[in-house]
Amino acid sequence: MLDLRTVPARDRANGAVAGVSAGIARALEVDPTLVRLLFAILTLAGGAGIALYLAAALLMPSEPGARSGGTRRVIGLALLVLAIVAVLAGLGLPWFVQAAAVLAAGGALLLRRGRRIVGAVLVAAGVAVLLTSGGDGADGPLLTPAALAGGLLLVVGPWLWRTAQERDAERTRRIRSEERAEVAARVHDSVLQTLALVQRESGDAKRVEQLARRQERELRAWLFPEGELFKEDTLVAAIGATAAEVEELHGVRIEIASSGNAALDDDLRALVLAAREAMANAARFSGADEISVYVEADGGGANVFVRDRGVGFDRGEVPSGRRGLTESIEGRMRRHHGTATITSTPGEGTEVELSLPRSQP
Amino acid sequence: MTRRVVIVDDHGLFRAGVRSELGESIDVVGEASTVAEAIPLVVAQDPDVVLLDVHLPDGGGQAVIAGVAPERPGVRFLALSVSDAAEDVIAVVRAGARGYVTKTISGDELTEAIHRVADGDAVFSPRLAGFVLDAFGSGEPVRDAELDELTAREREVLRLIARGYRYKEIAASLHLSVKTVETHVSNVLRKLQLSSRHELTRWAAERRMI
Repeated sequence: MLDLRTVPARDRANGAVAGVSAGIARALEVDPTLVRLLFAILTLAGGAGIALYLAAALLMPSEPGARSGGTRRVIGLALLVLAIVAVLAGLGLPWFVQAAAVLAAGGALLLRRGRRIVGAVLVAAGVAVLLTSGGDGADGPLLTPAALAGGLLLVVGPWLWRTAQERDAERTRRIRSEERAEVAARVHDSVLQTLALVQRESGDAKRVEQLARRQERELRAWLFPEGELFKEDTLVAAIGATAAEVEELHGVRIEIASSGNAALDDDLRALVLAAREAMANAARFSGADEISVYVEADGGGANVFVRDRGVGFDRGEVPSGRRGLTESIEGRMRRHHGTATITSTPGEGTEVELSLPRSQP
Repeated sequence: MTRRVVIVDDHGLFRAGVRSELGESIDVVGEASTVAEAIPLVVAQDPDVVLLDVHLPDGGGQAVIAGVAPERPGVRFLALSVSDAAEDVIAVVRAGARGYVTKTISGDELTEAIHRVADGDAVFSPRLAGFVLDAFGSGEPVRDAELDELTAREREVLRLIARGYRYKEIAASLHLSVKTVETHVSNVLRKLQLSSRHELTRWAAERRMI
């Protein structure tokens, strides 16, 4: 029985030219000669036979069960359109009946899932006939460029759309697998290495804490890139990066809180450097394990507070080395029209307040 | 005074770590690793404080608060998490937690935080204080002038918390009593939970709280 779901294959072995008639004959279980006769008759009807034959040659696969390549199918379908139109015109039916019949058949087939292409083809044929309305079956009007273009477009359209969809799906699949590969690489590069190091250096608690902290920071930056701490070229992000460096250099913990943010400019960059000095001083001299940093920024300016609960110092009696550092911070802030206020109580801790008021834009 | 505490967190190692770090004054009366386990446990044990992880697999910390509150309104929640993203923090506070601390907190500070929450006060980490100042920073009150704005005093207190000051230090700096400082912080907590300020509702919505 003819299996309508698949296009029958050509029978090259038994065929005279391309095995089209033989293939169709085999599928329908009739004598190939009858099929050839049909093609011959149709050729007389406005050349439809030739077009149909070529269409069939392109559409029918060479092996049973296979499908013809995409391009071949498209061209074959286009030829099918022409052939159908030619046949209908050749039958002498009034053009609008031809068009209606073809459109109806096409519409019906479009609704069935498996036969969308054929349905589209028939719709194209109907439209082509309409475009050449009034044609009396002669070959001339049938082959007007407009009709051809219109028909081809409608035939190729669904195919193109499906190809585009497949490409999109393919791209999504590729992006997903790339993302998965990136996650794996990152985990391998950073987390696994850190965990291996942690196991090796497990005797050194300080080192382990440092490793863990650095790894945590890296993962956060990757997982939550929109957090204030990681928005590039902003004050809070710069403070965060600076603090990370000081943490690693000196083995202290720096906790950062913030309210608001601001885009970096030269003055703010100086503020970040001053804050770095303050953090480094606290790390080196205070004896504290933890340093608190608070950044506030809005239209009115920016303030950075660096606080430790360490040994503190008495400004009157400060050893010259440390005084120099204090003056360095104050001097830097002054040069950028800001202020540095350093308060310290021996035994209780130190706080450095860095202020950079802004002139309103 | 011994405080009875339930720990709810889906990381077993972390629960064990916390257990060992809490001081003598804290009695851990139960542990749970999911929302489904936590709610009946807390209802049965009626602890003073529940240490609650924000990110639980079957509904998050908010679900535990919502499930327990009707039957045990007196239980207080202290949120504990690795996440310090503003949305997570604000969302769980608006759900009813009285404070938020990150998992890097030391055992001593955690013990102190538990006591504070058990006493009915709020616990704000410096980062949470920063978030709150940010959220209440700009714009007009949305609905209720009282709830949608911070008083000058409240701002001062929050700013000092953000700078790393402890309550005693804040009290000394502002010439107040510690109790007054605690009251200010509790008021801020109330506003944080009830205000209709745009930032807060947006953050809560992003976490599907509303």
